Amino acid sequence: MKARILDRANVLKIVDLLREQGREVFAPFGGRGRDTFFDLVTNDNRDQIEIHLPNPYYPPKRFLLPHIERLFRIQRTNGLIQIEPTYREPRRAIFGIRSCDLAGIWHLDRFYLGREYRDVYYEKRRRNLFLVNVVCTDVERDIDDDCFCVCADTGPAARDHFDLQLMDLGDEFMVVAGTPEGEALFADPVFRKASPNHVEKRRAILSAVRKRFKVATSWFSATVRYVSLGKVMEKTWEEVGNRCLECGGCSYVCPACTCFTVSDRQLGTQEAERVRIWDACALGGFTRMAGGHNPRKAVHDRRNRRFFRKLAHHFIQRELSMACAGCGRCAEVCHGDVGMPSVVEMIRRASAEVDKHEPVSH
Amino acid sequence: MNPSATENIYLPKIAVLDRVVDEIVEVKTFHWHFEDPADQAAFKKFRPGQFAQVSLFGVGEFPASLPPSPTEDATFFTVKKVGSCTTALHALQPGDKFAVRGPYGNGFPMEEYEGKNLVFVAGGIGLIPLRSCIIYALKHREKYNRIQIFLGAKTPRDLMYRDNLREWEKSAGVECYLTVDRATDGWTGHVGVVGSLFKKPGVEVAVDNTIAFVCGPPVMFRFVIKDLLDMGFQARNIVSTLERYMKCGVGKCGHCCIGVAYVCTDGPVFTYEQIRKLGEDI
Ligand SMILES: Cc1cc2nc3c(=O)[nH]c(=O)nc-3n(C[C@H](O)[C@H](O)[C@H](O)COP(=O)(O)OP(=O)(O)OC[C@H]3O[C@@H](n4cnc5c(N)ncnc54)[C@H](O)[C@@H]3O)c2cc1C
Ligand code: SF4
Ligand code: SF4
Ligand code: FES
Repeated sequence: MKARILDRANVLKIVDLLREQGREVFAPFGGRGRDTFFDLVTNDNRDQIEIHLPNPYYPPKRFLLPHIERLFRIQRTNGLIQIEPTYREPRRAIFGIRSCDLAGIWHLDRFYLGREYRDVYYEKRRRNLFLVNVVCTDVERDIDDDCFCVCADTGPAARDHFDLQLMDLGDEFMVVAGTPEGEALFADPVFRKASPNHVEKRRAILSAVRKRFKVATSWFSATVRYVSLGKVMEKTWEEVGNRCLECGGCSYVCPACTCFTVSDRQLGTQEAERVRIWDACALGGFTRMAGGHNPRKAVHDRRNRRFFRKLAHHFIQRELSMACAGCGRCAEVCHGDVGMPSVVEMIRRASAEVDKHEPVSH
Repeated sequence: MNPSATENIYLPKIAVLDRVVDEIVEVKTFHWHFEDPADQAAFKKFRPGQFAQVSLFGVGEFPASLPPSPTEDATFFTVKKVGSCTTALHALQPGDKFAVRGPYGNGFPMEEYEGKNLVFVAGGIGLIPLRSCIIYALKHREKYNRIQIFLGAKTPRDLMYRDNLREWEKSAGVECYLTVDRATDGWTGHVGVVGSLFKKPGVEVAVDNTIAFVCGPPVMFRFVIKDLLDMGFQARNIVSTLERYMKCGVGKCGHCCIGVAYVCTDGPVFTYEQIRKLGEDI
């Protein structure tokens, strides 16, 4: 991978270059208080783009999978029925996407584009998406107590899946190209060659940043083992379930959740549309079948589902990664404190306790 | 990233309703064909046990089994009226249009079962997905050993596919046993739950080298499974189809996911051994 150096004052030149290519560029902005969001960059707001800020709750996954998306329109004219798919194929870039969210997109790629069926709506949006990753180095602004990319092995510096990666070295940024499209931007004279000093500086900053993370790395793998082997006690799941308020928030903020529901909407007497909408397995109606039978009646069965789906070895093998990128969003939004990091800890603790007392079998 | 062009897995194809046959209360069979002959030709290669997604415009989409056998050259659904989509389908008149996509799911591996005995156990509308296998097996009669059908319904009025039943009862190549929970309308046959047929005098269920197909409501399913296991059936030789709330049918929406399986793509056909390992209530 090729690396270049960019003066701090020139960092938004990347945004300009991408916009000159005719792309819609989305970048992070600060709102009031903790509120931050990705928004379309215009001439007016360009200078307000923030490089270091708390990761927006509303995940950038929405640029690939909008929370409501029309699949097609159905029109009826004199007994003739026409189905017209609605495709959106924008040329877009996300500037300032975090490493965890990048891992989230990589997970979505394998989920929506892998296996026997490919999702054409996702594919069309994904094909022209350019990703500029920013490494989280500002321990005050970028990183908070709920971040656990270090455990999920997705950050703070992504190793792959970006077109460009920016790393703040102070007065300068180091820019790494991950794809030929990313490298093509280096043709602009604002980019300078990197020296061994820069590389050393990057390494030193990264190792200092890594020390700021609170959650221990080993917990995740132990929990994956307990979940996959079905060793989590019913009591532990119930404890998690009792604390869940079934708001669905954890799924809506998650960059790696994939579920959706489908609904038809009448647009007039002769026209209808079919849309898909983000859905969450925590919600009561998720598995309810016609007639009211619901195989997943208890809240803890549904909670259990979220963690099982994300952590079971079977699915990790299938998608080559956990369906958790370690972003910590679910921990921040959950009123019951049963976001991923807490649950990982609850499971590890309770199950390790049982393990201790079980006789060793061969 | 430069993925190759893909067809749209969510796009249904227009279908035309040909005729409607009353089966039992709230259950009708809908014969249809695709408007475009190319779609019809492409659809023909389905396997017994597969399903399709049926679209009623402005209402929604629902999964329905394919009761015809691929050997029949027919396309129809048999659907019970339970909610918004199924009610909308029931309201259609011959000539009306709706849409279908599929076939989806794994289906029953009928080739794998060649040389074996086949035992079909169905309760109520559980016969819908099994009809396809039965017709298929009878069409390829020489490939299978004994074929037995055990069928239960609440009352005689709840027996569906009557033409087929009459045929199977008369046919020399198949042993067909019927039972009802309540004998009404002058019924003179067997009365009792479907499992009671296994112990009926003169009935001898083939157990060795046999595949048992079981489809029906959850309670019936549990009792029949117990009977079969008690008779000496192995869990891996009992097959069934699972029914889950489905939104996409193609492994993306997540609604049908149970334990480690997506019912729409990994199923809907599972052996009882697999069902036990799913690790969730069915
Ligand atoms: C693989 C497969 C094959 C199938 N094959 C057949 C078949 O061949 N024939 C057949 O008749 N059926 C079949 N079914 C069942 C059939 O798909 C359902 O009956 C159908 O989806 C009902 O759709 P609906 O829109 O009519 O009902 P709707 O109820 O309107 O269903 C949509 C959703 O509404 C909600 N809902 C329904 N009832 C209630 C309630 N009481 N309280 C609260 N919410 C509720 C649920 O979320 C429900 O799933 C099959 C199902 C599967 C999975
Ligand atoms: S955010 Fe918390 S309370 Fe809300 S559904 Fe998720 S686990 Fe339950
Ligand atoms: S499960 Fe929670 S921590 Fe993991 S990616 Fe989703 S929102 Fe982030
Ligand atoms: S029905 Fe959507 S994943 Fe199975």
